[in-house]
Order: sequence, then C-alpha cells, then structure tokens
Amino acid sequence: MPPHALTIDEASLSFGRFQALKSVSFAAEQGQLVTLLGPSGCGKTTLLKAIAGFLALDSGRIEIGGHDMTGIPPERRDTAMCFQSYALFPHLSVSDNIGFGLRQQRIGEAEIRSRVGTVAEQVSLVAQLAKLPGQLSGGQQQRVALARAMAVRPGIMLFDEPLSNLDAKLRDQVRMEIRALQRQHGFTAVYVTHDQSEALAMSDLVVVMRAGEIEQMGRPEDIYRQPKNRFVADFIGTANIMPVRVIGHDAASGLHHIESPLGRLTVRSEIAPVAKTIFACWRPEDAVLVAAGDETGPNRATLRVLSRTFLGSLCDLIVVTEGENPVSFRIQMHGFTPIAEGERITLSLKPEAIRFLGEAAE
Amino acid sequence: MSASFSVRPYLLLLPGLLPILAFMSLVIGMALSQSVGYFNFSGDSGFSLRFWHTVLSEQQFWRAFWYSARIALFSSLLSVALAYPVALWLRRPFAGSDLVSALIKAPILVHGLVAAFLYVNFISFQGFLNAALVHLGLVARPIRMQNDPYAIGVVILQVWKNMPFAFLILTGPVRAIGDDILDAARDLGAGAFARLRRVILPLTLRSLQAALILIFIGAAGDYSFQSVAGPTSLNSLAQYMVRIQQDNAGHGWNEAAVIAVMLMGLSLFGSAALAALIQFLLRRTGR
Ligand SMILES: Nc1ncnc2c1ncn2[C@@H]1O[C@H](COP(=O)(O)OP(=O)(O)OP(=O)(O)O)[C@@H](O)[C@H]1O
Ligand SMILES: [Mg+2]
Repeated sequence: MPPHALTIDEASLSFGRFQALKSVSFAAEQGQLVTLLGPSGCGKTTLLKAIAGFLALDSGRIEIGGHDMTGIPPERRDTAMCFQSYALFPHLSVSDNIGFGLRQQRIGEAEIRSRVGTVAEQVSLVAQLAKLPGQLSGGQQQRVALARAMAVRPGIMLFDEPLSNLDAKLRDQVRMEIRALQRQHGFTAVYVTHDQSEALAMSDLVVVMRAGEIEQMGRPEDIYRQPKNRFVADFIGTANIMPVRVIGHDAASGLHHIESPLGRLTVRSEIAPVAKTIFACWRPEDAVLVAAGDETGPNRATLRVLSRTFLGSLCDLIVVTEGENPVSFRIQMHGFTPIAEGERITLSLKPEAIRFLGEAAE
Repeated sequence: MSASFSVRPYLLLLPGLLPILAFMSLVIGMALSQSVGYFNFSGDSGFSLRFWHTVLSEQQFWRAFWYSARIALFSSLLSVALAYPVALWLRRPFAGSDLVSALIKAPILVHGLVAAFLYVNFISFQGFLNAALVHLGLVARPIRMQNDPYAIGVVILQVWKNMPFAFLILTGPVRAIGDDILDAARDLGAGAFARLRRVILPLTLRSLQAALILIFIGAAGDYSFQSVAGPTSLNSLAQYMVRIQQDNAGHGWNEAAVIAVMLMGLSLFGSAALAALIQFLLRRTGR
C-alpha cells in the first residue's frame, strides 16, 4: 500500500501557555481534498502553518508522502499555501507575484510566462497582470494569492479560506477551477473554510475542529447525516436539536420509542442511545407536510407557523409546538408553499431522519 | 472628478516654500557668484573665471577632491553594510533586543569631535591599545597608528558615528515587512539568501538609498574627523577649503567658494550615482 500523501499524527502545538492544537490526527490520500471546518480561533490556520513548516510541533509528527517532515524548513517541503492574509509581495507586479515560485525553481522564462498566463486565466486575472497588488481590489488580491500558490503545482496545496472575499458567482467559478486543477495535477489539498456548504460540496473528508481538537471527521454525507454531538450538528448545516427521553426499544422492528417536545416518536438508528435522556436532531428539510386529516405518515406533530421566509427555491419556516413550554423548530419546504404565518400545520418525520447525538441531556 | 488643474492649493504652499527657497538660493547663489569673482571682500568684484581656473588646475585640489570622495564612499557603504544585518537581526523583538538597539544608537549622543579625541587617545603611541598589544606580547614595540596614511582612522570614526544613523533609518522599513510575506516567500521555495535578494532588499531599497545618500553627503564634507585623526599628508575638501581661504589674503574667499561649489557638486552627483548604482544592482538581481 502506498503511503498516505499527508499524515498528521497526534500533532500538538502551543503558543506560550495557550494550546492551539491538541493531539490532532488525520490522513489524506493522494488527490483528496480535506476540509478543515470550525469556528474562528479553533486552530485551522495554525494547523496549515504547521503542515507548511512555519510552526514547529511540540509533539506528534507530520508526514508528507511518507517522509517525516520534522525539522524540514518550509522552502524544502512540497507544499504551497494560499494565505488567509494574501501575503502578496507589494513590490512585484501580479505576474511576477504569480511567477515567484516558478523563478525560484529555475524554470525557463518562456515556460514561466505560459504558466502564469494559464493560471491567470483560470482565476480571471489576465487583465490585471501588469498591476501592483496595491492597485487591486480585495477579491482580486485573493485570486493572486491563489494563483501564486497554484502556479508552483506542489504535491500538497494548503488553502486558507481562499474564496472568502469573492462574490457568489466568482466563488463558484474559482471553486470549479480548483477542482479541475486538482483532477488535472492530482495534488492533495487541505482546505480551510467557514462556508459549510462549500465544505460539503468540495471535500472527500471533512474535519470539524473546536478549540484545537478534532470533534468529528468523515465523509461529508456521513457527518451531515450522523453528527456526533450538538456542536457538529449545529455547525454543519442547520439542525433541530431537542432533548428526548428513550422509553423503549422494539427489537423486531428495530425502532426506538422516545418522548420529545414533538410528542411520542419512533426512531430508526444504527447507533444505540448512550443514555436514557439524550439529545436527538433532525434536519429542516426532513419534515414532510401532511394534510390535516391525513393519519398515514409516521411521527406526526401539529405545530403553529411563527414566521415564513420565501428564499426562491426554498421556503423557510419557524414553527412552534403548542402547549405550556413552546419549543421552536426550523423546517424547509421545497418550492413555493402556500402557508401563512399563524397557521397550524401537521408535519411528519421519518424514523430514520431522527438521529441520536452522543451526548446525554440533563 | 474634474480634470481641471487647480492652482489654489499650490499657492497655499508658497508662504512655507518661499523662505526655504530664498535661504537656499541665497547660500548657493552666494557661493556660485563668489566663485566667479563677485563679492570679493578685498579688491574689485567682477565676473572672472580665473578662480575656477586656478583651483581646478591645482593638483592638491584634485587630491583632496578624490580623497573626500573615497572617504565618503567607503564610509557610507560600510556604515550601511554593518547597520543592515543588525536591523534585520533585530527585526523581530526578542529578550534583550531593546537593549542591543539602544546600545547601537548610543554613539548618536556623543559628539563627533569628542569621539575623535577619544579614538586618538585609544590608538596613540602610549595609548590603551598599544599598551595592551605590548602587554599581550603581540608586538614588541608600540606601533604608530595615529593619523595613518590610508585614513583608516577616519573611516572607522565615520562608520562609528554613522552606523547608528543608518540603523535608525533602516529599522522602520525592515520591521514593516510582514512575517506572512517572508513566510510566503519561503513557502514558494526561497531560502534565506533568495528572501533577502528578492523580497527584503527590494522592499527596503528606498531607505537603503536614503541612508547611503545622507551618510555620503555628511562624510564628503568632513572636517573634524579629518583634522583630528586623518592623514597629515592629505587634506579633505573642507580642510582644503579652509586652508585656501586663510592662505590667500586677496582672493581666498573666491577660491574657497569654488571649492565649496565643487563640494556641493560632489555631494549631489556622488550620492545620486551611489543611489543609482544600488538601484541598478537590485534591478538586475531582483524579481
Ligand atoms: N503567533 C501566535 N501567538 C499566540 N497565539 C496565537 C498565535 N497565532 C494564533 N494564535 C492563537 O491560536 C488560536 C488559533 O488561531 P488560528 O489562527 O489557527 O485560528 P483559525 O482557526 O484560523 O481562526 P479563523 O477562522 O478566525 O482564521 C487563536 O486563539 C489565536 O489567538
Ligand atoms: Mg485562520
């Protein structure tokens, strides 16, 4: 079996007393894209800088292509980083910025010019090549940073929120260019983003971090479908999280019976609940609207519509339970739904749409 | 935005600019007109090129001219060459870096003349250095180092006095280079030397030039270091100017004015050439 393209093995790192990375481990195969996702300050940039070699680990190790990188300086690692702060060379034109790494590799001028031209086209910068970074807009500077890193075609690309400053359309375009380049050159990428839809759309592996630790990692669909705890459920997509009490398990049907703010529900889960009182979650798009008199759907609940936001392809509703302690939930209906605020509606949830989280509720 | 050129803001500058221009042109104008025979304090004033002719055909003048040029060149290059690595070393603060930088700047507080006398005392025949060398058995008898014919003493003093000055000028721009920019260069494969050549030097070029120019001009016009520690067989331009003024009772001022104009020319063109040379070298190697 060939070695992993990138292995992070129990990496720990502190700034003085503050521990920024706490025993972080994951591995990426050649050509994979790993997304680091997590709230601001959780250590994403720190991890990228450790991979690039700017920061030395306190313990643990980083391997690139099976080689231990401990003590190898950044200039001798096969990585290129697209900096969150852009870090463009202010004295060099856009084309010299993009060509910086290529000149360092002693590539011929003609080849440099052609490669700079190609990358510039991929990020729509051809018209800006002669300008200095100070003469560019924020989004243009960000694309120069991206192009400069991509031009050297390293084995490992490190992207630190490379698209955060672009408008939606340009972001889609550049994202597709990154994917196309990756298919073409087969680099392995570690990609930091705040945008969870970007993470879900692009990654082979999603790593969710919190306060220097990995909370959960896995394929995007797995993390989305079975988040480990409330933090992950809330961070990846929107989730309705509710405390529930497990009241029984039917071995024949494999269904768990629970008591919840929505009333009595049945849950089909491969994961057994870890406690009697526990948190469970479901996604807004999993709720199905049923006609008031319809008695056929499973897990029905009647709720009142508090607010309704029409989002084009979606209709976003906030609904509340009726009774003493109203609990609110968020649901999403595809297309236009003729529901008015204040109206009472009946929802149905499939037993497999409800997930137990690995956290006991008090 | 209107493209029409507005004169108003420039007019507002006049009250400030006029006195400066007036004083500058007064001084330069005085020197120039004196050098061509006007303002002759003894005898008749009137246009004449003979002072220029006398001075420029004097071999001693040219020796002084090239001597001052040489001292200015070595002093400015050496001062900057020493200050630059130190400024780079102190780019990021560390424990004790403030103390180091204060010590480097200390010579600014000592007057040049005082330093020159201290230095001469230190290296004199019976001075500390000779005593120490003899004591350590490195030499049999004291060596004569004072007023050395190669003007090493003068250059040492110039560098001692100007290095902190260059350090002061270079510190700011060197510190202004962001860590991320240097990290980016490393990440793209640039080792220590490539980072210096392709990023740090180009980004500090302007202050490098400024330091060179200022030190060059100061050293070209040196009088005190040369008088105290310089070679006895040679004059600096300033020294030569004073001597000419005092020696020639009749037209001393006029000939001294010629030398003054030449000194200004040396400062202007010498430092400009130096700045251009540095820029040219960096352009060639940069990118
Ligand atoms: N040089 C440093 N010295 C001290 N603390 C640092 C240093 N660099 C980062 N930190 C701290 O380490 C933590 C992680 O920082 P990091 O930049 O990795 O966050 P991040 O996940 O990239 O956040 P963001 O999404 O806002 O970019 C933060 O709490 C930060 O304050
Ligand atoms: Mg960051």
